[in-house]
Amino acid sequence: MDDLNPLAGTAHLLEEVDKKLMVLLRDGRTLIGYLRSVDQFANLVLQRTIERIHVGNEYGDIPRGVFIIRGENVVLLGEIDREKEQKLPLKEISVDEILDAQRREQEQRQEKHRLVSKALKERGLAVNADIINEDFC
Amino acid sequence: MLPLSLLKTAQSHPMLVELKNGETYNGHLVSCDSWMNINLRDVICTSKDGDRFWRMPECYIRGSTIKYLRIPDEVIDMVKEDAQAKSRNRAEMNKNRGGNSSQNQNQRAPRSGNRNNFGVRSGPSGGGLGNGGMRGGNAGQGNRPAPQGNKLRK
Repeated sequence: MDDLNPLAGTAHLLEEVDKKLMVLLRDGRTLIGYLRSVDQFANLVLQRTIERIHVGNEYGDIPRGVFIIRGENVVLLGEIDREKEQKLPLKEISVDEILDAQRREQEQRQEKHRLVSKALKERGLAVNADIINEDFC
Repeated sequence: MLPLSLLKTAQSHPMLVELKNGETYNGHLVSCDSWMNINLRDVICTSKDGDRFWRMPECYIRGSTIKYLRIPDEVIDMVKEDAQAKSRNRAEMNKNRGGNSSQNQNQRAPRSGNRNNFGVRSGPSGGGLGNGGMRGGNAGQGNRPAPQGNKLRK
């Protein structure tokens, strides 16, 4: 690499600007959009963003527009491969259907949590419900 | 255009702010600073589950509690127009550089005018923000007309 380049060898996002990226947030949501800008905090500007919801091997896209994302909420960024994007092994379904599927999945998860914490309680173990949320699913 | 500059450009526009705890705030941006602290006007707050709502005339949000902000598509276009205008101005300035002094003066006047009108060019509620320098002190009166203008457009 060019020694004169002050960014050589440092991790930065400037090369990702104007590319189509997937952003995974700390709350588990997936956003896909064109990265228009970044700053030193890794705050991001995404344009033409969609929120993609996955349930099993089905997914649905909700158009969301322009985002300014506070950097600390980002888990990872990934460039979308336009060729591979054409042949996803997943099936796209409508927004209503995916929201329905998501709701059912959420209910199943809650039911499972309920059973797990009940079983633990019977054995004299009190476990914080939030920890179960994160680790058992 | 840095993310926080874009946020500044979005002043007086409607936006949705989601906090880290999942609550969302819908309102018009009054002001913001370099820590992403923001003032909103005509706010509707929605609980995490989306089942409870609160209405408030204004609110202040500490930047560190924000997860993300969603702003109208046209704000990015405003940035592009602004960048074009700036580069046009710069080109003119270079062209005129070394010319006689009266030319330079003619050219300087409109440029400073543009600066004061930053963000107004394509804003429907531009009238209220006419004087960029007064924005902070003026916010209460200046922004009142904005919500209606924006709602009508939707």
